[in-house]
Parts: sequence; structure tokens; C-alpha cells
Amino acid sequence: VSVVPATKPVPTQRGRLAPLSSLVGLRVAALVVTATGGLLLWQSLEIRTPTGYSAIGPAFFPIVVSVALILLGLWFVVRTTLLPDADLATKAAEEDAATHWSGTGLLLGVLLAYAFTLDPLGYVLATTIFLPAAARILGSRALIRDVAVGLVVSLSMYYAFTRPLGIRLPGGVLGPLLDRIG
Amino acid sequence: VGALGDLINGFGTVVEPQNLFYCIIGVTLGTIVGVLPGIGPALTIALLLPLTYKLDATGAFIMFAGIYYGAMYGGSTTSILLNTPGESASVVTAIEGFQMAKRGRGGAALSTAAIGSFVAGTLATVAITFVGPAVAQIALKFQPADYFALTVLAFTSVAALVGRSLHRGLTSLSLGLAIGYIGIDVVSGQTRLTFGFFELLSGIDIVVVAIGLFAIGEALYVASRLRHGHEEIIPVEGSVWMTKAEWGRSWKPWLRGAAIGFPLGALPAGGAEVPTFVSYSVEKQLTKHPEEFGRGAIEGVAGPEAANNAAFSGVLVPLLTIGIPTSATAAILLAAFQVYNLQPGPLLFEQSGPLVWALIASLYVGNVLLLALNLPLIRVWVKLLQIPRPLLYAGILTFATLGVYSASSGSRTTLLIAYLIGVLGFFMRRYDFPIGPMILGVILGPLMEKQFRRALSIGQGDVSVLWARPLSVTILLLALLAAVLPYLPRIVARLRGRSADRLVFGADED
Repeated sequence: VSVVPATKPVPTQRGRLAPLSSLVGLRVAALVVTATGGLLLWQSLEIRTPTGYSAIGPAFFPIVVSVALILLGLWFVVRTTLLPDADLATKAAEEDAATHWSGTGLLLGVLLAYAFTLDPLGYVLATTIFLPAAARILGSRALIRDVAVGLVVSLSMYYAFTRPLGIRLPGGVLGPLLDRIG
Repeated sequence: VGALGDLINGFGTVVEPQNLFYCIIGVTLGTIVGVLPGIGPALTIALLLPLTYKLDATGAFIMFAGIYYGAMYGGSTTSILLNTPGESASVVTAIEGFQMAKRGRGGAALSTAAIGSFVAGTLATVAITFVGPAVAQIALKFQPADYFALTVLAFTSVAALVGRSLHRGLTSLSLGLAIGYIGIDVVSGQTRLTFGFFELLSGIDIVVVAIGLFAIGEALYVASRLRHGHEEIIPVEGSVWMTKAEWGRSWKPWLRGAAIGFPLGALPAGGAEVPTFVSYSVEKQLTKHPEEFGRGAIEGVAGPEAANNAAFSGVLVPLLTIGIPTSATAAILLAAFQVYNLQPGPLLFEQSGPLVWALIASLYVGNVLLLALNLPLIRVWVKLLQIPRPLLYAGILTFATLGVYSASSGSRTTLLIAYLIGVLGFFMRRYDFPIGPMILGVILGPLMEKQFRRALSIGQGDVSVLWARPLSVTILLLALLAAVLPYLPRIVARLRGRSADRLVFGADED
């Protein structure tokens, strides 16, 4: 197995050159697919098949799918090492050049914070904080407008969901106040 | 004649004031959400699902029909004016439509799309009325082995035809299948693939998967590259009405589009992408103005939009009569049926006849409403395109969270699962993995397994039961053909000693 140095360009079908470093992300993705298949296979083998059960037990299809994922992942590894997929490498290189990881990371961070503050703070307050925060990460610079939008959206959703639709949303710290107004 | 009577009863149900109201709400909300860039019909339905929880089944499905069509119509508006198709079925529309808009004929492009959709939708509704019950009759004779073969056909065709690579399509499909098997197996009662998490016992709802992949994945992707590229919104100038010449050039493509779209959409291997591409190339061949193609030919909007609409109705045939969804949107609709304890399949027409006919009638009424509401309101919809992108995606995340939270009655774990699936969707977008096959896998996986087990218990454990019937063999061969089809040009070219790219129909549906 010959290992191609990471700086050597890969010729693409369109005649352009993609840096091989763009294959690194794809290789990681290929390994993740393979590993996911492995994890699923381990879980599938844990499934108990009741004795005296018919030909196809509950583990059969999960095992088939896990093995398929492992094989697809390994083929993906081949397509990013021995037989690099030039088109995909070009696409990955374009993506790499355009990606601001900080934006994605921050956005994921506020999403997680949103999930954990929904119940204690309540829907209205958590959303009024989350929406402008997310908008700012996405590039907005109009803080007051965004807070206003967050407040209007969260209030209207809160009353629409809890009253006519009958779906419970957490009132949180503002709960007693919201119930008295509505 | 019996079908017509049933259809008339269906219309009777839909025009009841309350149901008509649901239909109007559905059409309007569907259009509003569908117009927003980056939101396709599947996500629109997934996000709007909580609104129907309080309705009875008939009201809910009338609303769904409105949302389904409204979302599709909204999507073509976005493709024409913004050149950002929200779903692959509008990719073709964007080619000529955006060029027309640039030349100041955006209004005419929107008109031909709307009227073409109306014409095709009308024809397709009539076609469902007759084809639906007939297919249901045939499907009554289907054996589990045939159903199994049909699910295989639906899988292979979506994995092979959607996206650029069979390998990535199959990977996406397998991930979806694995998600579909999470939870308690209904046949044996065993827990599967839960990794010890109590919350996974009841499985992962397809709505959670769809919102995660489409909404959260998309927003994370936009966050990673928002500072790049800017969008050009073409204002709609002058009259939205078509000139006489434009009418003359539109009506034949509408009819051809409907004739191409419905049958291809109705095949249990379809979706709406392939028909739009077929219609576009047919119009390109037949046009008297070949020089205009690529620079805003109205035929290139009229044909594919009609095909798209007819195919959307066509997709309902396998969904309602066989219970097999062939697109991500149909998969979400199937999930909605299951919420109401309805099992689409050959017996649906018998057991829930009034509901099915009300649904079909509301497709038609939805079409009329869209035509009546949307052309006059076109300038209002265009305003929606001007929502600042950061605010739009922050809003999408807010509504995505609300959708998951209310669908899971307030479970934080489910919310975290949706975000995790969103991260997966982000990387799938980055590395060009199609999302449609994954959504289909989630819902079709358990279905395929059920039919496989049934077939084997009928065959008393003998696997040959799967290819014992000519019908199931034929369907399995079709599945093989679907997998090979995209490679045919390359194979033929190689035989002739030349090189060619593989066929690509549409990037993805979302």
C-alpha cells in the first residue's frame, strides 16, 4: 500500500487540481461510517433472539445493515486513499475553503444551551434569548430588532400552543405572569 | 362510475366551511413556509405537523393536502426569483425561471408555473381518482414477498437516482435503516440498538429525523459559510400575467408535463425529481425556440413545473394504495397517517374511504385555492424572500426546536437527538451525501423487515419464497435495473471506447 504525501494534488475530471489535504476530512468521515457500522454490529449481536423463534429473528436485519455500513465505510476509505474520488475531493476542498468552523461551533453551543434552559427559564424567556443569539452568530448586527422578533415569536407561539392547540410548553420563571395575562 | 360518486362525496366533505378553512390555512401556511429559502415540502410538513394534533383525521389530512401543495408552489417561487431551489424537484425550474426573472419576465414565469401546476394538478387528481382504486384492487392480491420486493425497488431507486453516487446513496440509506430499527421490535418484543438508553426504547420519530437533517443540518451549514456568496433577489416588475405568445408556448408543455409527471411519479420507484428532468429535456427537444433555452425559455418552466405537480400527486398512488412512500415528503406523510392510526395500503380505500376521498378532493380544492390566492398575492410572497438570512435561520432553528419539543411532549433527550442528527446532516451536506434515502430508510426499514418475516413464515423458512412468484421476480429485476440505470451511459460509452459521466437526476430533496 503506497501512501500518497498529503501535499500532492489530485487531478480532477474537470482538469482542476484539488489539494490532497481536502481528503483528510473525507478519510475521517469514512472511518466514522465504518466505526458506526462496527458499533451497530456490536449492538445487533447483543439482541436476544427468543428460543423457538421463527427463521428470522429480531437481530437479522440490524446485523445485515451493520455489515452493509461497515462494507460501505471500508469502500469509502478506499475511495479516499487508494482510489481517490477526484470529484468528491474537489467538493471537499471547496467546502474546506468556505467553512468557518467557529460559526458552526458557536451555533451548536447556543442550541445546546437552549435545550437545557427551555425548562428552567421557560419557553418565552429562553427563546427570547436564543433567537437573537443565534441570529448574531449567523451574522446579524440588529440586536434590538432580533430581541423584539424573539419576544413576539415566543409569546405568540406560547399562547398558540398552550391555548388553542393544547400542547404544553414550559412557563418557567415567567409562567405565573404569562398565565395571568393570557 | 363508483369512484366518481365517491369523489363527489369527498368534495362535499371538503367544502364544509370548517374543512375549507383548514384547507385555506394549510395552503397559506404551506406557501409561506415553502417560500422561505432552504425549506422544502418535507420539512414544511414536519414543522407544521404539531398544528394538526388537535384536529380529527379528516381535518388534519385536508390541511396536509393544502400544506403539501402550498409548500411546492412556494418552492417554485423561490427557485424562480432567487435561484435557490429548496428541493431537487424545483432545480430544473430554477434553470430557465431565474433567467426569465433576470430578463424582467419573472411574473410570467411565476404565472406559467402556477397555472401549469393547476392544470397538471387537476389532470393528476382525475388520474388518481381512477388509477388509485384500480391499483388498490391489484394490490389486494399482493403477497408479502411482493411487498418486500417493492420496498427493495423503492430503496434502490432512491439510492441510485438521487444524488451523485450510488455508494453515498446506499450509505445514507443504511444509516436510515439502522435508525429505523432502533427501539422495541414489535414482533419479538426485544429491544434493539438502544445502546442502553431508556429514551430510545420507543424509537426515533421520523419527524425528529427530518427536522434534524433538514432544518438543523441546514442552519449549521449556513452558519459555517454565511459570509460567503450573496444572493440576488430579482424584483417582479411589470405585469405578472403572461402575454398571448407566452400562453401559446405554455399550454402544450403543461399537458406534456402532466403526462410525464403522473405516471413516473406513480411508479413505486419515483419521487418527483426524475419527471422534471425528463420534461425539461423533452421541451428542449420539441421547442421552436431552442436558442432561448438556457436564457429563459418559458417552456422550460411550464413543462417541469407541471411535471413536478403531477408527480407529487402521482407519488400519492403508491403511498395510499400500497403503503410505500417513494420520496422524503411521502415518508413524512406516511408518518402522519400513522399518528392517526391509519395504515395506508390496499385496504385504506375500503376502511377509510371517506377520508381518502376527502384527501383527494382537497388536493383539487387546494389547487384552485392556490391559483386564486397566490397569483394576486405574489408581491406579498416576494416580501418573504427579503427576510434577512441570519434572522431567517435563527427562526428556522426556533421552529425546529419547537417542532421536536412538542412532537416528543417536552423531552430534552429527544431534542438533543435531533441536534445530533443535525450535526450528521451538516456533514452529509458537506460531503455530498443525499438526505432523501436516509429519511426513506427510517420509515421503510421496519416495513421491509415486516414483509420479509411474513414472507418467510408463509414459505416456512424457505428463502426461495422471495422469488417464487413472477411478480416479485419482475419487481426485483426492476430494482436491479434502477441501480444500474445511472451507469448505463458510462457503460455504453466504455463499450464504444469513449468516456461519459453518469446520469444525475437532481441533487436531493429537502
